Parts: sequence; C-alpha cells; structure tokens
Amino acid sequence: MNELALIVFTPLLAGVLAWLLNVRGLREAIGVIGAAVPLAYAAMLHEKAAQGLSFALNLGVFNMTFALSQLSWFFLGIAALVGFSAVLGLVSTARGSYEWLFALMSLTGAFGVFLANDLMTFFIFWEIMTFASFMMVLRYNRQASLKYFVLSIVGAYAMLIAIAFIYVKVGSFDFSAVRSAFIGDAYARMFGSATFSSGELMALFGLFLVAFGVKAGLFPLHVWAPDAYSETNQSYTAMFSGVLSKTGIYGFIMMYILMGTRLMVEFGMFRSAPKFGYIIAFLGGLTIIVGGLLAALQEDIRKLFAYSSISQVGYILVGIGVGTALSMQAALFHALSHALFKGLFFLIVATIVYRTGKTTFADMGGLAEKMPFTFAMAFVAILSLAGIPPLVGFASKWVLFEAVISQNLPILGGMVFFGSAIGFVYLIRFTYAVWFGQRPTDLDDTKDAPLPLAVAMAILALFNVVLGIAPGLVARELNRIFGRDIIGGNLFVLDLGFGKYNALAILTYLIMGIAIAGLIYLLGARARKVPVTDTYQSGNPVTMEYNLTIRRNFFLPLKEALSGWLRISFDRTYRDIGAWVEDFGEVMRNYIYNGNVQSYAWYLLLILLILAIWGV
Amino acid sequence: MIETALKVLFILLYATFVGFMFMGIIRIVTARIHRRVGPPIYQPILDTIKLLSKESNITHGFIYDFGILYAVGATILAVMFIPLGSIGVLRAYGDLILITFLLEIPMLGIMFAAMSSGNPWAGIGAQRALLTLLAIQVPLGFAVIALAEYYGTFSTYEIVMAQQISGWSIAHFPLLLAAIAYDLVLQAMFGKEPFDIMIAPGEISLGPMVEFGGKHMGLLNIQHAIALFAETLFFSNIFLGGGVVTAFSSPVLNTIAGLLVLLVKQIAVLLVATFMAAIFPRFTIDQAAKFYWKWPTIIAALGAILASL
Repeated sequence: MNELALIVFTPLLAGVLAWLLNVRGLREAIGVIGAAVPLAYAAMLHEKAAQGLSFALNLGVFNMTFALSQLSWFFLGIAALVGFSAVLGLVSTARGSYEWLFALMSLTGAFGVFLANDLMTFFIFWEIMTFASFMMVLRYNRQASLKYFVLSIVGAYAMLIAIAFIYVKVGSFDFSAVRSAFIGDAYARMFGSATFSSGELMALFGLFLVAFGVKAGLFPLHVWAPDAYSETNQSYTAMFSGVLSKTGIYGFIMMYILMGTRLMVEFGMFRSAPKFGYIIAFLGGLTIIVGGLLAALQEDIRKLFAYSSISQVGYILVGIGVGTALSMQAALFHALSHALFKGLFFLIVATIVYRTGKTTFADMGGLAEKMPFTFAMAFVAILSLAGIPPLVGFASKWVLFEAVISQNLPILGGMVFFGSAIGFVYLIRFTYAVWFGQRPTDLDDTKDAPLPLAVAMAILALFNVVLGIAPGLVARELNRIFGRDIIGGNLFVLDLGFGKYNALAILTYLIMGIAIAGLIYLLGARARKVPVTDTYQSGNPVTMEYNLTIRRNFFLPLKEALSGWLRISFDRTYRDIGAWVEDFGEVMRNYIYNGNVQSYAWYLLLILLILAIWGV
Repeated sequence: MIETALKVLFILLYATFVGFMFMGIIRIVTARIHRRVGPPIYQPILDTIKLLSKESNITHGFIYDFGILYAVGATILAVMFIPLGSIGVLRAYGDLILITFLLEIPMLGIMFAAMSSGNPWAGIGAQRALLTLLAIQVPLGFAVIALAEYYGTFSTYEIVMAQQISGWSIAHFPLLLAAIAYDLVLQAMFGKEPFDIMIAPGEISLGPMVEFGGKHMGLLNIQHAIALFAETLFFSNIFLGGGVVTAFSSPVLNTIAGLLVLLVKQIAVLLVATFMAAIFPRFTIDQAAKFYWKWPTIIAALGAILASL
C-alpha cells in the first residue's frame, strides 16, 4: 500500500474503530496511533518529497489522485505535528467516542486537501473536513455550528461552481492540466484571443476568494470563527485553528499556482504586487486589525484566542497577497509558526478549562502558582505570538514585515505593524487575568496539567523554541519548495539581502544581559516573600475580601475610543440577511401556497399562456 | 573574542553612565525651567546606589523577580544592536525592525513583574501602558517604513553610512515628516509628559512601579538609564546622521570624536523631549490614543507614501 494512502486514510480508519469499539482506554490508544502513523510517515517522506510521489484511486467515475510535492509536504508536516499534539490533548479532554470519530475524520480531510492532485479530490476532502468539524461543534452548541455550517456551505459551493466552470473550459480536473491550460491562456491573452474573458476570470477569482476566505477566516467572512472555535472541545480547537484554517491558506496558494499568471496578465499590477493579490492582502490587513481589536475586548479566554487566530491568519494572507517569492515564503513561515503557537495556546486553554471548568476572565486569577508547568508553556506561547525574539513567532513576522515593506507597500506595512502591537495587548490581558494577581478561593485546589496534555504542550513548545533559535531549518525547507535560495544565511542567521536576523546572537546577548542583571540582583540584600494582600492600597489595609485584580472590561478606554467603529458589526449584518431570507420564505409561502384552489388553476393557466406565447 | 568582550563591556558602562547623566540633565533642565536650582547631575546615580543597598527587600514570587531581570537584559540586548559611532558589536545585524521591537520588549518584563504583584494600581498602569503602546505603534510603524523605503535597506548601519553621502535624513522632506512623527512617539517611549500616562505620578501612584522598592527599583533605574540612552541613540542614528567621523588620521581619535558628536545629537533629542515635558500637562489615555491615531499617523503615513514613490 502506498504511503500517501496510509497517511490520508489511517486517521479515518482509527476514528471509525475507536467509535465502534468504544472501550475506555482502547479508543484513546487507537486514536493516538491513528494520528501518530501519519506523523511518522510524513517524517519519513521528507527526503522523498523532492522526487514526487503519487497515488491514484479509481472510483469508476473518476480517479482520486494524490501527489506529494515540496509544498504539500510542508503543509502535511504542520498538519501531522499539530494534529498529533491535539489528539494527545483529546486523550484528556474528549468526552466520548463521538469526538474521537470526528476529530480524526477532520484530520483525514486536512491531509487529503494537502495531498490532493486534482480539483475534485481537493473538493471531496474539503467537504469531509468541513463536515467533521461541523459535527464537533454541533455536539457543544447548535447555534454556533449552524452559523459555521451555513458559511462553510456558501464557501464550498462557490468552490464547486468555480471547479465546474474550469472543468467545462479545460476539460480536466488535474492540477497540472489546469495549470498549463491557464498558462497557455495567459500567452494567448497577450497575443489576442483568450479562452477566459475578463468577466469570467473576475467571477472565478471572486468565487475562490469566498471559498478559501471562509475557511481561513478572511474579513468579512470571519464571523463563524469566534463561535465555532470557542464552542467545542478546546483540544480539538488546537487542530481546528492550527490545521484546518491552513487549508484556506493552502487554497489561496493553489489559486496562485493554478491561475496566478493568467490573473496577473488580465488585471495587471499595483506597484510590485499583482492587483488581485493586493485585494487579498488588503483584506488580510483588515483581518489583522479587526481580529486583534476584537480579541482585546473579549471577556472569555476561548473567544480571545479565536479572534487572535483570525488576526494571525491575516498576516499570512498579507504575505500571500503581495505575491513575491519572498513574501510567499514569509507567509508559509508564518503559517508554520501560527500553527505551532496557536496549537499550543489552545492546548493551554484546554488545560485551564479542564482543570477549572471556567472560561471567563472574571472567574480566574493567580493560577501561575497552582499550574507552574502550564504557565511555563503559556510563557513560551505568549513570547512566540507577541513576536519576542528569539522565538519562532518573531522570525516569521520579521521576514513578513521586510517582505511587505521592501515591496514599497506602506499602507500594508502600517497594518502589519499595528497587528504586532495589538497582539502584545491582548496577550498581556490574558496573562494578567488568568495567571497573576489574587486567586479566587474556589481555585485553591486546582491541579497542574494531566500527562497527555502536558506532553502535547511540551512538544509544541519545543518546536516553538528550537525553530526560533534555528530559523535556518525552516528557511532551508522553504527554499526547497521554491527551488532556489530566496532566504539566505545559515542555521541561525536569516539573510534577505537588505536585512539580516541572527537568532543565536540575540539568545546569547539576552542571556548575558539577564546574567548581568541577575548578578546585581544577587549582590543586593535577600528579598522576603510577601502575600498578595500585603500590598499598597493607598495606605489602607487589605484582606482577601477585597477584589484586587481588574477582571472585567480591562480595556474599557479602548472600547470607548473605538465606540463608533464597534457599532458596525458584520455578525449582525449576516443575522439580518438571514432574517430577511426567512421572512421572504414566509411571504412566498403565504402568497403562493395560499390554499385557494382557484389560484392554483390560475397558475396553470399562466404557464399555458407563457408556453403559447413561446410558440410551443 | 576578547576584543568583542571588551567592546561589550565598554558599551555597557558607557551606556549606563551616559544614561544616568541624561536622567540628571532632565532633572536639572526641568528645575531651571521652574526657576529652581535642582539636584546635582549625578543625583540619579546616588539614588540608584541607595536603592540597591536597601537592607530589606520584598518579592511577590518568581515572576516578580524574573520580569525585572528580563527587562534589564532585554534593554542591554537592544543597545548592543544599535551602532554606536564606529563601535558596534552586532551592528551587522542591527536591523530597523528588530531594534524597534527590541526597544519595546523591556516593557513586557516590567509589566509581567508589576502584574504578578497583584496590585490594582499596577493593573491600571499596565492597562495604560499597553494602550499607549498600541497608540504609538501606528505612527512609529509608518516612520520606520518611510526610512526603509527611502533607503531601500533595513540595516541601521547602512542607513548611517548613506547619510554620510546624501546628508541627514531630516534634510529629505518625506523623512522629515517621519522624524516629526517619531519625535512625538519618543515622548511616550521616554515616559514623559504629556504622555506619561502609564506612570502618572500623583494620579495612579506610579502605576506599574507602585510595588517595587529596594533593589528591584534600583535595577529598574538602571534599565531606565540604558533605555534612555538606547532610544536617543537610535533616533540620532536613523534621523540625525549618526556619528561617523573620519577627519583624523588616528582611528582612536576618530572614535572619540564620533562618540562626542553622537552625544551632542542625543542631548539635543533629549532636550526637545524635556522642554515639551515641562510645559504640557498630561493627557488622559483615550485622548492619547485619539491623538496618536490622528496627527502623528497622518504625518508619518504621508512621509511613508512619499518615500515609497
């Protein structure tokens, strides 16, 4: 049996087995094996990816084809690693075999999307993934799952229409055939007649933008994400946000590969970015800002990270939109680091929810003393997301900043700069409200993370640190995708030509700086440990009855400064559209199916009349 | 290796000493504006020695200590990447965006430490500090973008060298706009009025600093001195032509002259900030956000767009 088939179908098989057997202990073991096998095979295929590897499954009507390229290996690696960690987390947090079935099924869907070699296979696995994630949300919250489902369906059918359209024109689903058809058409356009007209291309671009934008959480199609990410098993969300949102990113990259040349020829350039790409990048920039600002105003940990996830995906879309080789590499790099730190964050949230049973900031505080291991992991994740060198989050953001700014795109540059500050802002709010300050008395007997979750977090944290100190590892992989050295340097140094980043030097000098400070600290007199209530409160005595920690509405001034903008809500717009459609359906039902026999006779007459005019 | 170690040691001592002198200058100049005599220039050093030699210190836990050490360490890290005349340990890696980030991350350490104390004033102070950071990031980002687009490089050292040939950055109109915006941002980065909202003495009893005393406060004073040095140095390098002197035949004389030239430029930046601080009262936090998102942003964005043409 081919390795690719094993990678794609093992999780599904394991999921079904776990669901059928449904024996506690056994189903967990099967599930972990189901996620470990793809990880092991993905690691083994690393060297083979260069030669290309393919696999076809004849379904009678059409062939289901898979192929491994450098690009799909990169995404496969992310998916297998984060998926495995999330599945480890599920060992602690899954409530039953139902969740095992669908969590593993969505992993199969994601693998299938990354390995697909034709449009139809891509679509089928896309739908498997959507369905499985919908079922995961449905178990927890019906309203959120339906919102997710409706938007996903809109996206999926937009994609189906586009695929059908391409098939009609090109006559094949195969990626390479479609790609060469579009490139041939680009040449044809330059010399006169082309198969695809300008309007058709615009429609295709719009359909794909909706299709992939929904999955990635592109503004203004992001409204499903805060609800769906928060209203499900949080270990699963590590995969949901870390891997499943990457399929949208992968879709955009496929769009570039398949029809990028043709679109560029048709619509031209805006400065050094293609015009159609600039649209993606600009929407990505808005996604960063909107996601980040809303994340800062949330009162629930899960919601905060859901919006933060949206915001970070915006960076990736900016990189993809700008469309140079360097910015594409930056986007892929950030896709990797986003999966690593956001997977870690959702596992931390899963631990907190699992151990305390609470999700809002108002109920928490002072957990750092009770859960030191989880706090250490959160510390790594916070530094990584906020873009603190030398962790992986900074390396990828740095490449992205330079890639965008060096293309003379100042407005996009300003947007990504704002995004980095807002990331800082909402993370400190999370840190303050959950880990520090006064601890509510009902959290006094909270325990640290259970073993499977701890292992899962440790794996992701390790990758965050190692790839941050040695970003050259990722750069080498990215250069292999493009076949040439776009990011130079060595293991510890990234060299873009107009900018250099040395992670090892940063680490060395940071340690040196902390050591010097530590020396001064140790030379001083010994410090005495005091409890949280032994504090300055305008000179007044404080007891535990006082609430010393600001837990609600931490960023009230920000909310007030933005009050005008916050009145605009896309969530409400979609709800209004939904209500209008329902009303319209009601009106149609009342008028057309009015229960009056004579009016049905009139309908018949009307149709006969139309046929008569037509001349039948 | 030994040469690098000596350079590091020199930069550290020089930055700390000059930073403390800057703190002294600020106090003297502010006093003279108020028609007071003011303290001697070395007063901040005495303050720090006093704080470091306190016999009783308190701590609220591991993060309370580590946050302070991290802040000092990160500030030392930042200063190593900024070219100091012809002396530079890591100036080959002195990337604009990297330094901009490195100048911000000490605040993370201070805030971690402050918040772990659980004091409500520290909480308010952290909130204000974060919103100030968010507010200044937009004009700051555009100013950095304007520089990178004008010179086509992200290396601070190369920007300094380019200014040797084509004149100071502020002589070019788009970069002059960026420099004005950056100078307004510096006011908040120094923590000076009218944007000293996060510390706000008299209003929220020093905000993040409220719980620190003894050696923690002493370390924070050192951090403040180095940060003051680093921020003025960065501004002088990118907008005021840095300090590369080649007039003498001896490299040692050139280096010393370069340091002196830089010192004059740094003091000029410092004095502008001090004058502004002495005559403006404090903004509230939402006013600060609205201010920074309006005029400095417009000025800097205009500069960035003109620089990219």
